[in-house]
Amino acid sequence: MIKLVNISKKFDDRFIYSNFSLDISENEITCLLGPSGIGKSTLLKLLSGLSLPDSGSISGLNQKSCSYIFQEPRLLPWLTVYDNLDFVLKHHYSNSQERHAIIQHYLDLTNLSDDSARMPNELSGGMKQRVSIARAFACPFDLLLMDEPFNSLDVNLKQSIISSFINLWSHSRKTVVFVTHDVDEALALSHTIHIVRQNPAHIVYSTKIPYTLIERPHHQNAINDIRKTILDRL
Amino acid sequence: MMTFITNNRNRFFGIAALFIAWLIIHRIVNNNIYLPSPLSVLAALKNISQSSDLATAIPATSFRVFLSFLLSSTIGVTLGLLCGLSHTAYEVFEPIISILRSIPVISVIIIALIWFKSNYAPVFAGFLMTFPIIWENTAKGIQSTDGNLLEMARLYRVGLAQTIKYLYLPSSKPYITAAFISSMGLSWKVIAATEVFSLPRFGIGSKLHDSKVYLEFDSLLAWTLIIVLLSYISEIMLRLVFSINKIQKNN
Repeated sequence: MIKLVNISKKFDDRFIYSNFSLDISENEITCLLGPSGIGKSTLLKLLSGLSLPDSGSISGLNQKSCSYIFQEPRLLPWLTVYDNLDFVLKHHYSNSQERHAIIQHYLDLTNLSDDSARMPNELSGGMKQRVSIARAFACPFDLLLMDEPFNSLDVNLKQSIISSFINLWSHSRKTVVFVTHDVDEALALSHTIHIVRQNPAHIVYSTKIPYTLIERPHHQNAINDIRKTILDRL
Repeated sequence: MMTFITNNRNRFFGIAALFIAWLIIHRIVNNNIYLPSPLSVLAALKNISQSSDLATAIPATSFRVFLSFLLSSTIGVTLGLLCGLSHTAYEVFEPIISILRSIPVISVIIIALIWFKSNYAPVFAGFLMTFPIIWENTAKGIQSTDGNLLEMARLYRVGLAQTIKYLYLPSSKPYITAAFISSMGLSWKVIAATEVFSLPRFGIGSKLHDSKVYLEFDSLLAWTLIIVLLSYISEIMLRLVFSINKIQKNN
């Protein structure tokens, strides 16, 4: 369990977080749902260690390594798809054959094996985001942080990328913390949803979704009920 | 392709216009000491190509340009990289290099003459003039590296050496290439100028000096043309090196 206790964080004299507490269960997907610009990304930065809270404590993170899926793909434009994955893997695996096997495996799982030699500017937005997802899973991690990862994609693409994500996640079942403003993404992908409101950020409602990710399409009615409850409180 | 052709056609007209103007002015002035005819310059070029200077002065000056460029590009990129990465280092070096940059060319040449022998004074002057350009462009290029990509590399715990090799340097490559190309052009000018004063046994600058002493305006223009040509060829070679690099990466 990752525990955030009484976290405070200030930007320019404005409290983004003040006495904020949250428990994050391991080996499942936790979603923070709320409008853009209320400091959800800041929370991911705190979890990744990229920034420190002004006060309060975060426990359960010791020595955890993170992978990250950003709102934009953040690929190196001068490297091929393959080399973009290789870039983050090099210091984890010194053996290039081992790296090769891992990269091939994750490119296969994201349907990108035919594109491994292509440059990012030759790929569509959805493909780039798939590369970014493959990179996150290929790199060994204990905690995956996702910041509006499907934001820039159109609806059909979102569906196919969400299903490749579910496929990848089901293989590893690692802890994921995921922030979004999109209710449907939250419903498709998370085990626990926390609704966050701002000034300073606080949780107004939390719910657990009782179905596995793969079962969900078969329980549309129940999911719709949860959806209504969430929309009422957003 | 079309624009390439029209571009070249326009360039040709420009050069032809200059040539015609030269011919007309030469007719009006009618004095070979003030302005030689294009034909006598061509004759001087022919003389040079048949003389031993072709195998001595040109390689000697080219070697100095090469050496000076090698020094300023290695030191400039290394220090520029350091200063691009560390704000403190940038603040320490910035005033020093600003001063270097504002020293008049003629002072640089005289300092070089005092400190170095005739053969290497031009190399030093070339270095001093071009190093600040390469340093500054490299530092600017490194500083302008995409913060989002750097954050990604940091989150994935990619080491500094890998980040420099795959992120900082490729991203500052356009800045560094531009600095290399303008430094190359400047090197030829400064090095030839310093040679005029330091008078190494072999060197294009020494030949320029001879032309002045013996009032040979045609050979002065011929050597000038040679410098322009060599500078142009070395610029093309530089561009070629950088674009070959690019093609290999694309494949």
